[in-house]
Amino acid sequence: MKPNLEVRIGALRMKNPVTVASGTFGYGQEYARYFDIAALGAVTIKSITLKPRAGNAPPRLVETPAGILNAIGLQNVGLDAYLAEKAPFLRKHGATIIANIYGSQPDEYCELARRLEEAHAADAIEANLSCPNVHDAATARGPALVAQIPERVAEYSRALRAATKLPLLVKLTPNVADIREPALAAQEAGADGVSLINTLMGMAIDPETRRPRLANVIGGLSGPAIRPVALKMVWDASRVLQIPVIGMGGICTAPDAIQFLLAGANAVAVGSMSFRQPDAALQIVRGLADYLEHHQIPDVNDLVGAIAT
Amino acid sequence: MPYVLDCEIAANDEAAPAHRRMRVCAPQIAREAQPGQFAMLQTADGYAPFLRRPMSFERVLPEAVAFLYKVEGEGTRLLAAMRPGQTISVHGPLGKGFSIDSTISRHILVAGGIGVAPLPALADAVTRACRRPPDVVIGARTKRFLLCGDVFRSMGCEVYLATDDGSVGEKGVASHVLERLAPNPDTQIYACGPMPMMRATAQIAARSGAACQVSLEAQMACGDGACLGCVVESIFENEGEKMVRVCTDGPVFDAQHIDWNAHNFAYDR
Ligand SMILES: Cc1cc2nc3c(=O)[nH]c(=O)nc-3n(C[C@H](O)[C@H](O)[C@H](O)COP(=O)(O)OP(=O)(O)OC[C@H]3O[C@@H](n4cnc5c(N)ncnc54)[C@H](O)[C@@H]3O)c2cc1C
Ligand SMILES: Cc1cc2nc3c(=O)[nH]c(=O)nc-3n(C[C@H](O)[C@H](O)[C@H](O)COP(=O)(O)O)c2cc1C
Ligand code: FES
Repeated sequence: MKPNLEVRIGALRMKNPVTVASGTFGYGQEYARYFDIAALGAVTIKSITLKPRAGNAPPRLVETPAGILNAIGLQNVGLDAYLAEKAPFLRKHGATIIANIYGSQPDEYCELARRLEEAHAADAIEANLSCPNVHDAATARGPALVAQIPERVAEYSRALRAATKLPLLVKLTPNVADIREPALAAQEAGADGVSLINTLMGMAIDPETRRPRLANVIGGLSGPAIRPVALKMVWDASRVLQIPVIGMGGICTAPDAIQFLLAGANAVAVGSMSFRQPDAALQIVRGLADYLEHHQIPDVNDLVGAIAT
Repeated sequence: MPYVLDCEIAANDEAAPAHRRMRVCAPQIAREAQPGQFAMLQTADGYAPFLRRPMSFERVLPEAVAFLYKVEGEGTRLLAAMRPGQTISVHGPLGKGFSIDSTISRHILVAGGIGVAPLPALADAVTRACRRPPDVVIGARTKRFLLCGDVFRSMGCEVYLATDDGSVGEKGVASHVLERLAPNPDTQIYACGPMPMMRATAQIAARSGAACQVSLEAQMACGDGACLGCVVESIFENEGEKMVRVCTDGPVFDAQHIDWNAHNFAYDR
């Protein structure tokens, strides 16, 4: 018997628990030339903003041990181009769409969510409250990402909850002392799920030139280097939450993804690994199905939180 | 269409001190690869390094492609240690290559250092399209690091050399030699090398009215236009077009479209 792979995040149905992480899969088009993107549980798009953004000055990317530091700064095509060019492509290919959005005010998030819902250009909203690389919000070097302050997480989530009927995911930052606080704030404000983790803030310096390797000085760390940190945060958060968790951070293979499910994630997102292996997310879907069959587990949901302690 | 294929290494030999040439059997990729395009090579099975390394096609052969590379850091050191018979994962062909306008009478290729890597494939294609081999200017630090001179001569190209120390050819940089060749509006220049050399070449082209294509480099993660890590600043002012991706909008650009003043040379190595 084929095991069940379908999961639900609030009202969002995913045919399997594997999506891709925002900003690592473009708008789906970039990877549709390698495999059928509708075979994924969902495609999560690069953060979009109301207006197009050019992003930060280069260099924006540097490799560090088993990871990547990036300071892209939310370069994106903007909502209008997404609606006109990107969403129709995703729809035509039958992809389930998680639309990741970014704004500098609750109003902007709400307008993005409303217009995405009206245009049927999203099946769920993921509010990026945790981008470490935006300098216009005075956040790049300051302490104040929205997701670092539980009260602001609640404020933004409440506003969005009132603005849209779409399933609402809130994407949190690992750059906090206790991940449970912003996670609980999102839940209490009516979010249908939380996505964690965004990148860990970091930096690298070239000793020869004495310059930071990124023009933005600091950036966000992703890739296998952050996997144990991400896993622990998913474990921490899922134990206190009633709502689902989408886990991410360094997932490269099916066994990595299974660790996140066991720790309590209801679904997972594959991020930086797609850069190295364009069909990594698809291979993880297949590896997960094989694992369930091999262990005679009838339903992937049986793995969620099933860590043996 | 790009592929991700495990390919057999046919050869991996020294081309100059700390420079090697790797030939891999990749019939599908070879059928589609255009001069100026590149591939992302996986250098390790584990995650050190995690990302693939971009390398231009030096030659596109009937069943194989060749890469010419400089041993820089961990990734290229691992490439250098690979042996014929082993397999390597090759992701490509990627990017937008050179375009050849055969109505232009004179074609000049300008290389600085390892920037010579994509030019043999280009010289081949120019020769076929224009029925005449192009002129080639090669610059290097010193004689030992001059690459591909024989390759171009065997294609019938006129080859001009420049070295920083004057150990062979003209003492100075490739762009000085280019200036002496007096490009004019009926000249197409193709340049690949360090950013200051490409900026100088772009300026010579602009002054002389010659057309100029440059092949740029940047740190890359995906090679597919998804991560937005590899951008350079263009002259286009609106927010949506300002940053162009070296991997998919390039690596070959019209030199006039690059905002050379915005580039921060301090980050180049
Ligand atoms: C489209 C494209 C085509 C390329 N084609 C070739 C080629 O044909 N032959 C070739 O030898 N190289 C080529 N390169 C450059 C090559 O990709 C890098 O030298 C290589 O990635 C270095 O990897 P590494 O692990 O050995 O060094 P790393 O450990 O990654 O880096 C070693 C040092 O080199 C610097 N460095 C690394 N990559 C770059 C870069 N892209 N630009 C400037 N500095 C860099 C680093 O900052 C560091 O100081 C190309 C790059 C691009 C973007
Ligand atoms: C190049 C790059 C760009 C990213 N852009 C975004 C973004 O636009 N919005 C967002 O919410 N997260 C963004 N992220 C974070 C990822 O979605 C993910 O949370 C993080 O990379 C951890 O997963 P990974 O280790 O599997 O990559 C980006 C990550 C990378 C590497
Ligand atoms: S390398 Fe990812 S967009 Fe160019």
